[in-house]
Amino acid sequence: MSAERPETTSGLRVWSRRRFLSAAAIVAVGASVPGSVVPKRLLQRNGYPIDAETPLDLLTTFLTPNDLFFVRHHWNPVFPDAKTWSLTVDGEVGKPLSLSLADLRKLPKASATCVLQCAGNGRSLHRPIVPGVQWGAGAVGNATWTGVRVRDLLERAGVRPSAKHLHTFGADKPPLKVPPFHRSLEMEKVLADGIVAYEMNGAPLPALHGGPARLVVPGWAGDHWMKWLERISPQPEPQKGFYMDVGYRYPKTPGEPGVKFKPEEMEPVRDLFVKSNITRAPERAAVGQRVAIEGFAFSGAPEIAKVEVSDDGGEHWQEAQLGKDRAPWSWRLWSFAYTPKANGTVTLHARATDGRGAVQPKQAVWNQSGYLYNAWPSATLEIGG
Amino acid sequence: MRRARLLFGGLAFAGVLFLHRAPDPPPAPESLPQLGTVLGEFPAGPMKSVADAACLNCHSADMVRQQRLNDKQWLAEVDKMVGWGAVVPEDQKAALVAYLTEHFGPDNEGFQPVVAQPPPR
Repeated sequence: MSAERPETTSGLRVWSRRRFLSAAAIVAVGASVPGSVVPKRLLQRNGYPIDAETPLDLLTTFLTPNDLFFVRHHWNPVFPDAKTWSLTVDGEVGKPLSLSLADLRKLPKASATCVLQCAGNGRSLHRPIVPGVQWGAGAVGNATWTGVRVRDLLERAGVRPSAKHLHTFGADKPPLKVPPFHRSLEMEKVLADGIVAYEMNGAPLPALHGGPARLVVPGWAGDHWMKWLERISPQPEPQKGFYMDVGYRYPKTPGEPGVKFKPEEMEPVRDLFVKSNITRAPERAAVGQRVAIEGFAFSGAPEIAKVEVSDDGGEHWQEAQLGKDRAPWSWRLWSFAYTPKANGTVTLHARATDGRGAVQPKQAVWNQSGYLYNAWPSATLEIGG
Repeated sequence: MRRARLLFGGLAFAGVLFLHRAPDPPPAPESLPQLGTVLGEFPAGPMKSVADAACLNCHSADMVRQQRLNDKQWLAEVDKMVGWGAVVPEDQKAALVAYLTEHFGPDNEGFQPVVAQPPPR
C-alpha cells in the first residue's frame, strides 16, 4: 500500500488532501473549457454509506447511464448473492411464493422508462436549512427498468381482496439500534404500475442500485423503490415503524418555513412534484447571439405538458422545445434558444407544467426533512458586446 | 413559404440541439478517487475522539461535515443518534454539541463533495 492511500479503521481508502485537490483540478479545468465534453464523475456526499449524486452537466441524455446514476444508501449494505437470492411473497395471499432470480426471469417481462428521484433531492436548497444528506440537484436519473409486474407476482400468489398495502423489505440491515427500513405503499398504485426490476438500462441491476432486484414505482419518490428486495407482503394495514410514522413524511398542507410539523400533520411522501432543471447554459453570451439552454423536466404525473423559460424573474415566459423521447413518468429533455437583448447580467429561470396542470412553483414548500424540493432552477449569464 | 422556411429552420435547430447532445462523456481521470473513498475527518480538538467513537461506526465523517445546523438542531441530532445506539458519555454531550455547532453550524461553507470516479459499468 502506498503512503498516499492509508487504510482507515473501516478498511476504506483515504487519499491525501493534496492528491485529491490535484485530481479535482483536472476535472475543474475540463469543465471550464467552452464546448468541451466534461468527463464522467460523481459528487460523493458521503463515503460510507455511499451517497453520491450526478453533476447536472452530465444529466443531458434521455437515459442516464448506470455508472452515472446517483447512489443512495441508508447504511452499509451487504449485497445479496444473485445465485442464492430469492424473493418471498407472503401475507394476504392464498399461495406464498419463493422465487429465485431464474424463476423471476421466466415470468412475463415488463419494462418502464421512468425517473427515479431521491425524496431528499435538493435538500441543501431548502431555507431554513434542514439536517440530512445535503443533496444538490443531482439525486435523480431516468432509466429503463425491466422485470416482472408486481400485479403478475401477486396474482400468481393468489392475493386476497383484504390486502390494501404492500409491505416491502430489503436485505440491508441497519447497524446498532437504528430502526429497519421497512416500508409499505398502497396496493392500488403498486398493482397499477409497480415492477420488481432485475435490469437497469438492459444490464443486470447493479448491486449499488439494489440488485439482484428492486421495486420500481413510476412517478413516486425513491423511498418506495426498495433496494435489494427480498420480501413483499400484501397486508390490510400500512407498515409501522420509524420510516413510515416519522421519516419520509411530507406536510398535508404547507406551513410557515422553519415551523416543524407533527407526524400526524404529515403523510408519507408519495408522488413526485413537477420539476425542471437546467443542465447546460453558457456562462457568457453576446447581444443578439442565440445560445442553447438545456435541461430536463418530470413529474408525479405521467406527462410533462410544457417547459417555459423567463429572463425577467417570471414576469414573462417563453416555451421551450421538448425532446422527442418520452414515456409515462420519464423525464423530457428540453431546449430553449435564447437571444440576449442587452448587455449586463441576466438570470434565466425555468418552470415545468405537467399533464394534470400542476406548475412548478417559484418557491418549494419547506418541510423539516427537506423532501421534494422543486423551486424554479436558474442560470446566470454575463452578456457582453 | 416563409412560414415553411421558418418551421424547417426551427426544426433543424432543435434537431441540432437534440441530435448532437448525447455523446458518451469521456472517462473520468484515473487520478480521481474511487467511489466510497473517505477523505474527510473530524477537525482536531478535544472532542474529535468523542465524535470518532460516536459517529464512525455507522457513517463517515462527511455525513456530519456537510451539515449546517444550529445548537438546538445538533442537540436533537445527537439525541436521535444516541437513541439509535451511538455512544456519547452523558458528561461529554454538551461539549460534543458545542464542537459540532462550532465547526458545522449554519455558516459552514467548508464542505465540498468528493469528486469521484463512477463505479465500473
